[in-house]
Amino acid sequence: MEVMSNVLNIATLASIYLLFALGMSIVWGTMAILNFAHGSIFMFAAFVGYLVVKQVALPLVAVVVIAMAAGALLSVLMQVAAFEPIMKKAKNAHAAELQLVIGGIGLSALPIFVAQRATLSNPFGYLKSTFQTEYYDIGGLSISNLEIIILVVGWGLGIATAIFLKRSRQGLALRSLGVDPEVSSLMGVDRTRMALSGMAFAGALAGLAGALTTFYLTSITPESGNYILLKAFAAIILGGVGSVVGLMIGVTVLAGAETLVIVFSDGGWVNAVAFGILFIILVIRPQGVLGKKEVRRT
Amino acid sequence: MISQWFSMNSVLIDQTLTVFLLALSIQIPLRLGVISFAGIGYYAIGGYGTGILVLQHGWNNVTAIIVSTLIAAVVATLLGFVIAHLNGLYLGMATVSFSLLFSAIAINGGSITGGAVGLYGLIGPIETWHVALVVVVIVALIALSERGGLSRRIDAAKEDSQLAGALGINVIRMRRLSFPISGALGGLAGAFAISLKSTIHPESINFSLVILALTIIIIGGQASWVGALFGSLFFVWLPETLEFVGDWEAIVYGIVVVLAAVYLPGGVVVVYKDWRHRQRVKKYLAKADAAPPPRGETSEMVGAKGEGS
Amino acid sequence: MSVNPDHREASIAYDFDPVLEGRDVSVHYGGVKAVEGMTFGLRPGLISGILGPNGSGKTTLLGGLTRMVNLTRGSIFFDGSEYTSVPPREVIRIGIGRTYQTVRLLPDRTVRENIILATDEVLRKDRDRAHAQVERAIELTDTSSVEVFRPGELSYGVQRRVEIARALASDPKLLILDEPTAGMNKSERASVSALLSDLRSEGLTQLLVEHDVQMMVETCDYLYAMNFGSLIAEGTPESVVRDPGVQEAYLGKEGRHDA
Repeated sequence: MEVMSNVLNIATLASIYLLFALGMSIVWGTMAILNFAHGSIFMFAAFVGYLVVKQVALPLVAVVVIAMAAGALLSVLMQVAAFEPIMKKAKNAHAAELQLVIGGIGLSALPIFVAQRATLSNPFGYLKSTFQTEYYDIGGLSISNLEIIILVVGWGLGIATAIFLKRSRQGLALRSLGVDPEVSSLMGVDRTRMALSGMAFAGALAGLAGALTTFYLTSITPESGNYILLKAFAAIILGGVGSVVGLMIGVTVLAGAETLVIVFSDGGWVNAVAFGILFIILVIRPQGVLGKKEVRRT
Repeated sequence: MISQWFSMNSVLIDQTLTVFLLALSIQIPLRLGVISFAGIGYYAIGGYGTGILVLQHGWNNVTAIIVSTLIAAVVATLLGFVIAHLNGLYLGMATVSFSLLFSAIAINGGSITGGAVGLYGLIGPIETWHVALVVVVIVALIALSERGGLSRRIDAAKEDSQLAGALGINVIRMRRLSFPISGALGGLAGAFAISLKSTIHPESINFSLVILALTIIIIGGQASWVGALFGSLFFVWLPETLEFVGDWEAIVYGIVVVLAAVYLPGGVVVVYKDWRHRQRVKKYLAKADAAPPPRGETSEMVGAKGEGS
Repeated sequence: MSVNPDHREASIAYDFDPVLEGRDVSVHYGGVKAVEGMTFGLRPGLISGILGPNGSGKTTLLGGLTRMVNLTRGSIFFDGSEYTSVPPREVIRIGIGRTYQTVRLLPDRTVRENIILATDEVLRKDRDRAHAQVERAIELTDTSSVEVFRPGELSYGVQRRVEIARALASDPKLLILDEPTAGMNKSERASVSALLSDLRSEGLTQLLVEHDVQMMVETCDYLYAMNFGSLIAEGTPESVVRDPGVQEAYLGKEGRHDA
């Protein structure tokens, strides 16, 4: 039974990572924007949910929707205020890459700062929400309603996105952007609009992940975003940039490795798991498990 | 009076010097187009290495500094081979994860690294002016690389490595060489830091150090030691000057960085270089009484790095 | 690695010493035969041209001759010595200089610095000679009036000239020019043509790739015509232009867009 319980933990943790990393991976794979501020969007969206819940006792769904809206809005703001201008001004893709990372890191400081001031760097959660954790017994395994929600939402969205990208026209348009922005603009794909929708989608997912994570862990701190950002990198690279199926493999491996480390050691090395995975994959096989062989070479 | 100012601000001066060395360890590879944050890892090797050798093995402080710096340089060379196939962002990420692994090792290193508390109590003969002297020598060497043929070759290797190769430049060798240099600089930074501060702990080598290094490069620019120095001064002394701003420091920081990233991709040194160039052009036009040369009349776009199909 | 070990070919006898010789030069990319079986020898002191519609493999051939791409088959010789497998950075030392289809100058450096760059590695130890070569290159291309400017401040035509100066600064025995007049107007084209003639009277061997037939016929002493990666005709400009195979290749190629 302990094995099943661990498997459940791994699946749930992986689902959270998946939600967070999904938006980031798509934006990166299709628009070549690596949003270093994605972690602070995750945290800040959850924080906005906290602010609202402090005033009004809301059910889980409401908190999640608020967080998603906040995440989408913040993400679009960042795109308009920083990423789009940077890409327009850059001389070439190579220079833009570094500037985007730099801009993202700078941007990430702002939401963290605001949250830190408001909470005095203390953890915050949704204690005032009307949501109650309930436990069910399925064949001897204890599973909570929250875990069910997380599993369904995360993995469901992951699978849906994978299908969407492969089948639908918008999905194809997104993928063509990643392959050659010039060509796709010639074919009538509006780059700016796609970029905004992509960022909004990614931001909403980050908000979703943030709210659910806060419920799951009962609280997060203003700094939580940075850690999950690095872990998302590891999962994305492991799976291969731009591949949703690869990402699902990546988050599972990451969550699995972390859980094993916690179970079999004193847990101090947990964060190092992500660093280790990231480094090893980049050295041995930078395109990841399912990425295209042609890793962007500058 | 001056000596009074020095002793009052000695901590900040020490910090400026070591941060400057760290910034250089990142800037050197960056000048060749190699985005490497491994400097933080080298800093960890230099700092913890010196601490362990002196505090746990009774080594002489100076010898410990030299040895741990050499170790950092060797590790850097090995790293260079291992990640040679990566470019741009992927290289950057590999080096960030490399560096952060050290902070994990530091926290979990038990009695050897002092765990979460770190190492403390390193009292040694190293003083600020020793470090300053070494830094001056290093700057002199780096300044030489920013003049003449070497600086042009470095620029070419970064801007257009294929063209550089076609002009005879061995780009791969230059990039390989940048690793041990970066390693030595980063290692020295860490070694000096613990020797001056007497302590080192895991927080000194975590992600915020990456942010710090990045900020310096953003503000100061990628091209010159002058920029790195300026960036170091900016970052170390800004909190002082902004005391009245107080808690808002982080917001100011965030805004400045974003503005710099969008509008000033080359940092402050580029602003100066562009100004110098405009002066020279003005002088030339006035002297020769020449008409300015024809500007882009044709419709063809310029500047795209033609890959020569 | 790039020479097919089973390659055997009777050495083609030329009644001159070819500056550059290619034997069965072939470059294939994943199924596409960009260059196939080209055999030729460049006549010293003359301007040779490679004519061909877009996509005929001209630029790939140049890539092969300058070691930017590996030959799938065949071998190349410069001044009689084979250089099929040398590292790309040796090409300038062998004596080949080239310009590119799109101008590749360092944008943040002055024209003069861009030209000197060509000597920074190969003449690291002999700066006096480097200086002399740079001055000569500037004089030949008449670019002394723009020395202090940055490439971005100059017209496209002038930038191309600077690129030629850079190629000349290494004192090459062979100058390869990849579509040097693309995007230029008639007078700019004429002035480039005049420059190449001047260089010829200095004794420099040149290989010109262009797709403007008129310019090629006027400027070149000898022409090679390519189509679909292979040599379809060679000889004096007049004879090549009248060749039926060449005419057919050109008639059908209007409107094809390719890099």
